[in-house]
Amino acid sequence: MGSPLSGISPLNQVNAGVETGKPVDDRSDFSSQLQTAFNQVEQLQTEADQQIAGLLNGQGEDIHKAMIAVEKANLSFQLMMQVRNKIIQAYRDVAGMAF
Amino acid sequence: MNLLGVLEISGSALTAERQRAEVLASNLANAQTTQTAKGGPYQRQLVIFGTRKADSSTFASAFAGFSDRYAQGVEVKRVLPDPTPPVQRFEPAHPDADSQGYVAYPAVNPIEEMVNLMGAARSYELNVAAVQATKNMISQSFQILS
Repeated sequence: MGSPLSGISPLNQVNAGVETGKPVDDRSDFSSQLQTAFNQVEQLQTEADQQIAGLLNGQGEDIHKAMIAVEKANLSFQLMMQVRNKIIQAYRDVAGMAF
Repeated sequence: MNLLGVLEISGSALTAERQRAEVLASNLANAQTTQTAKGGPYQRQLVIFGTRKADSSTFASAFAGFSDRYAQGVEVKRVLPDPTPPVQRFEPAHPDADSQGYVAYPAVNPIEEMVNLMGAARSYELNVAAVQATKNMISQSFQILS
């Protein structure tokens, strides 16, 4: 009966690993990557805004360039939404887990 | 994000075709022009296309790898004057007539210009279709997730 109890101690080691080791870094890496992706989406949207404004101001922007910029912003936003939906779904799946 | 690079290529083609259409329209408009800032009749302009390295400013990552080596955009490299000598027409009453009564008119054939203009319009249409195809490809790839 002594040996099963001794099996508990590795849990502490796992916890210690979470606090100081690599898994924490990976988590922050993922979130920073997500942040970068969102920023890129936002940048594309700003670009589309500028192109449309330039078009309407008569600053000589090409119509097709503005349209392509808008389309890029639209597509990147759609991709962002898909990723977001997937993450939320994964979170709900984990949250709804029966123990 | 590589597919967005395809949009850049099609976009460069749209720009080039629009500029070509502009020059062709200028040729058509000045088919009868006998006075220019340089003096003499208008000279027909020819558009020369060339391949273009992609914009690295906004989408540096979009052109990494494959597309950097093989896929290239297009741009108007040069606009050259057509060396064809002007057409001489006998119009002694014209203010630009020379001592023998001949007026130098630009060597512009409106029919030829019109055909080229139709070609530019069709090419533009074609590249818009390419943009839409690319757009659909990207949208399709989103369907994998959902």
